Amino acid sequence: MPEHAQNTPLLRNWRGYLAALLAAVACTLTGYAMQPRFDLVNIAMVYLLPVVGIALLSSRGAAVFSAASSVILFDVLFVPPAGVLNIEDMQYLLTFAVMLLVGLAISSLRERARREESGRISHAIAAERERMRSTLLASISHDLRTPLSVMIGASTSLAEHGEQLPAAERRALALSVSRQAQAIAEQTEKVLQMTRFELGDLALQCDWNSIAEIAGPVLLRLREALAQHRLLVDIPGNLPLLRVDAPLIAQVIGNLLENAARHTPPGTVIQLKARMLEQAVEVAVEDNGPGLPDAVLERLFDRFREQRIGNTSGGVGLGLAICRTIVKLHGGGIHAMQRAGGGTRFAFTLPAEAAPQLPEENESTRP
Amino acid sequence: MTDTRATILVVEDEPEIRRFLRSALGAEGYKVVETGTVKRGVIDAASHKPDLAIVDLGLPDGEGLELIRKVRAWSPMPLIVLSARAGEAGKIAALDAGANDYVIKPFGIGELLARVRSALRSVVRPAGGGHVLKLGGTTIDLDARTATRDGAPLHLTPIEYRLLTSLARNTGTVITQGQLLREVWGPAHESDTHYLRIYAKQLRDKLEPDPLQPRYLITETGVGYRLVCD
Repeated sequence: MPEHAQNTPLLRNWRGYLAALLAAVACTLTGYAMQPRFDLVNIAMVYLLPVVGIALLSSRGAAVFSAASSVILFDVLFVPPAGVLNIEDMQYLLTFAVMLLVGLAISSLRERARREESGRISHAIAAERERMRSTLLASISHDLRTPLSVMIGASTSLAEHGEQLPAAERRALALSVSRQAQAIAEQTEKVLQMTRFELGDLALQCDWNSIAEIAGPVLLRLREALAQHRLLVDIPGNLPLLRVDAPLIAQVIGNLLENAARHTPPGTVIQLKARMLEQAVEVAVEDNGPGLPDAVLERLFDRFREQRIGNTSGGVGLGLAICRTIVKLHGGGIHAMQRAGGGTRFAFTLPAEAAPQLPEENESTRP
Repeated sequence: MTDTRATILVVEDEPEIRRFLRSALGAEGYKVVETGTVKRGVIDAASHKPDLAIVDLGLPDGEGLELIRKVRAWSPMPLIVLSARAGEAGKIAALDAGANDYVIKPFGIGELLARVRSALRSVVRPAGGGHVLKLGGTTIDLDARTATRDGAPLHLTPIEYRLLTSLARNTGTVITQGQLLREVWGPAHESDTHYLRIYAKQLRDKLEPDPLQPRYLITETGVGYRLVCD
């Protein structure tokens, strides 16, 4: 995660130790240059610099190593007799102790700052997760409670007063139970599917398919949902075959068509179009309903969008998030935009590979 | 009068699901035999000789697939699978084991009854049996390999005839794409689904009034095809 990258020390692992060693060597060279004109104490101060630097930029271990290597080099090369490690002189042990302390103090200050920073970030992540969870819970409880209330109310009416009710009334109650149950079933399926996607628990089963053949059964299945609208279908017969997971692409087309039917007034036109782009096939669902403001269009594909569009029961907004996940898994893109003539256009692309060879049949397909 | 109603064997362990199956099938005029295990199901299939069986895939004493294989070994009766699993692999496994159709839970009773009617109508034809297919205005003689559409001769290629013959052996039944590819193009081409897509489109262009919303050659997305006769 990028938040963590800026939070880790600049000089990680062995790099810190190497930098400490190089810095100590550089100090030694500087020390040699200073020696004729400066006191040994001042040269010792020069050795303090890398300890501070390493403590700031690297780990505690590297800071200790820096202090130690500085002291040893200083001691061996500068403290008379030069060339020997002089450990008897208490003065220089003190130098080492001070360097070590400075190094450790800076190191632990930095450590604390880092902990606070990462605590702040993980707190922000937890808050975002929490926000999402409560949005999901709120949506689910709304999306479940309403239909469940209807189902319990209608079915107990049927069970307890069924005989007193006219047949038409009984039928209406039973139908509303079945409609609401259907809504819950669809919603449950979507939540399960999104969860499977998030767990990475869904491998694509791709084989060669035609968009027209995928769309056919979808139109059949949605005949009732689309009955109030005028449906225009334009899928050219010469589109290439695509290597896709047909049931999932059918679901994308179905979700887009259902959305269009749900969010536009009866009697308006819904179009299902497909066309060849340069390296991809584009499938679009267009409506000429009231359209959506840009701010809403941008957030449409978010997982659990908070705002409901208008007053309609759009569910948890999982449908479009599922569409986006499916299209992305196929290496395509999906977007929504305002149509020039009013209404909304949802379009997704699927990459087109070179079409496979078909073995030749001696006869032509036409007499 | 002897009982001429079709008998349907329901193999399902959930009592609430059995309850509404029994009431809906009974209301349609079918005689219903119920059982809840693979073991009892196999026995009842043999003793009651039902005209059709509805089989739940997850039964307490085993997989419904096992029952399907056992019954299929001696009986051509239509078998409809009830499955809670929406995965295509499960449907294909059931169909390859010998099921004719599948309905995914939760399902509306209308959908199930439509499948039952269609399965009871479906005619199993012997592999080499001579027969003529009628699909709307199109008549196809699969043996003589001649076809007419609205009285005019219609040309079909040899592969198109082979594909139709495979589908026509069991009209109304879903035939998996793997099975079709094996039968028409050979076992080496079992995963060459593009063959099927191309020939399905060719056939629809020749047979269907509206190839985009076909009436006769129906795609079961991700699973296979079924041929529906009028």
